Amino acid sequence: MSEDHPRDWKNLDLTAACRILENAGRRDPASVSKDPSEQLQYIINSLCDLSVHDGLTGLVNATFFHAVLNREIERSMRTAGTCGLMVIDIDHFKNVNDTYGHSVGDKVIQSVAAQMKKSMRSMDTAARIGGEEFAIILPDCTPEDALKAATRIHASLNPFTATIDDIVLKLTTSVGLVWTDPNATSITSSVMLSLADQEMYMAKRSGRGRMCYRHTEPIFVSSHEKSALMNISFEERLNG
Amino acid sequence: MGSERKRARRYALLSGKGGVGKSIITANLAATLSTFGRRILVIDADLGLASLDVILGITPVSTIQESFRGEQSIEQVLQSTRGFDFVPAASGLPEGTVLTERLTAGVESAIAALEERYDAILFDAGAGIGDVVMFFAGLADEIMLVVTPEPTCLMDTYATIKVLYHTHGTRDFLLVVNQSGPSPASADAGERIAAHLQEVISSHFESQETDPVRIRLAGSIPVDTAVKHSVMRRRLLGETNPDAPATRALTRLAAFIDAAIRNRKTP
Repeated sequence: MSEDHPRDWKNLDLTAACRILENAGRRDPASVSKDPSEQLQYIINSLCDLSVHDGLTGLVNATFFHAVLNREIERSMRTAGTCGLMVIDIDHFKNVNDTYGHSVGDKVIQSVAAQMKKSMRSMDTAARIGGEEFAIILPDCTPEDALKAATRIHASLNPFTATIDDIVLKLTTSVGLVWTDPNATSITSSVMLSLADQEMYMAKRSGRGRMCYRHTEPIFVSSHEKSALMNISFEERLNG
Repeated sequence: MGSERKRARRYALLSGKGGVGKSIITANLAATLSTFGRRILVIDADLGLASLDVILGITPVSTIQESFRGEQSIEQVLQSTRGFDFVPAASGLPEGTVLTERLTAGVESAIAALEERYDAILFDAGAGIGDVVMFFAGLADEIMLVVTPEPTCLMDTYATIKVLYHTHGTRDFLLVVNQSGPSPASADAGERIAAHLQEVISSHFESQETDPVRIRLAGSIPVDTAVKHSVMRRRLLGETNPDAPATRALTRLAAFIDAAIRNRKTP
């Protein structure tokens, strides 16, 4: 370690941190560097990357996904536009794990993720939000655009052939799609995700390998409902 | 879910609008249920603006947020008061309004560690339909909506029901009408509000013939100065005004919940 670095830095065991990250699969020429500034940059890059991405697939993780979705929802409300959300679940994935083991299951997840990356648009954000469940945010698009983009991704995954070593697996995925209403006043990422999940389960119930969709409008209270609700006297509580 | 472990019945107390008396009802309900011999756990689920400790006249040593951060175990956070146990939350923490993995994992592990000891868990959730409120609603077996007979409150309650119906598939709602008119007429006013909500839902929600939403009135609490009196003294109604109309109404509400806990079919 060179002498011209600040004193406190001498006590930092950067090499050990580099070894840990390298063993965790963060291969990079900088991980074997002896230069502390290169080592530190490698550690910072690795940790930033790990905090945002899912380790298995390289897609964004669930925490980051919610942050992006909330940002895109806010943007769509501001611009009276639409933001789409797809939820994708691999059908009968438990059978894959039970029959071939988790290492094959993990590789199937990786190949589905790779296929999703290939078929989505550059501005879309794909995330792994659960074991075999994925989500794709389709920002700044009309409902027609969202449907077109989602249909293309769905088609590329149905059926989907994954070749893992010498095992050939033919899989399907069920997809739920929702999009925000341009007239909506508020919706949160988790409500939107629940709605997309519901559509995905609908796709599962209707035979798997399918896509179900709807826009989020029915969740808002209509003017008819409002006037029906207000058609009651509130005065009586004061008068008994 | 498929586990055989004994599980406490979970109630989420929600309100579309704030300031309708949710926390006061939670605290008094828990205390009354414990006098019936029920083992009750109350979780302050209003993680942004917790206030149950204030109503109970307790100064928490630590809060559920400290257990999320691993600074305290959930056992250290747990407090006993008036025959029931209580998990306090911190107030004034904006992070409590954001649904993070740390929050969901923290709450789920706290419930898993504790719930075998109780007959029922009450979540005193925040107002509105934010992510954290919806998360607690998703954990609950029963949704109990607290409503006052005011136009804005009725509107917010209806919207809450609609959101829960669409996002969580919730079809059964318990209603507690608070400040439901002066004492003798309060039960009628409660019935009237519940019937009105039911009617608007039945005629406006989709697929009500096959999959109806049901609103059940669990209790009506009359307008009663005794409530303010007890809150100002940071005591419970049973302690300050054991014979007041509101106290008696809360006892009837507790009896309703007690019967539901006794008759429940699920493990």
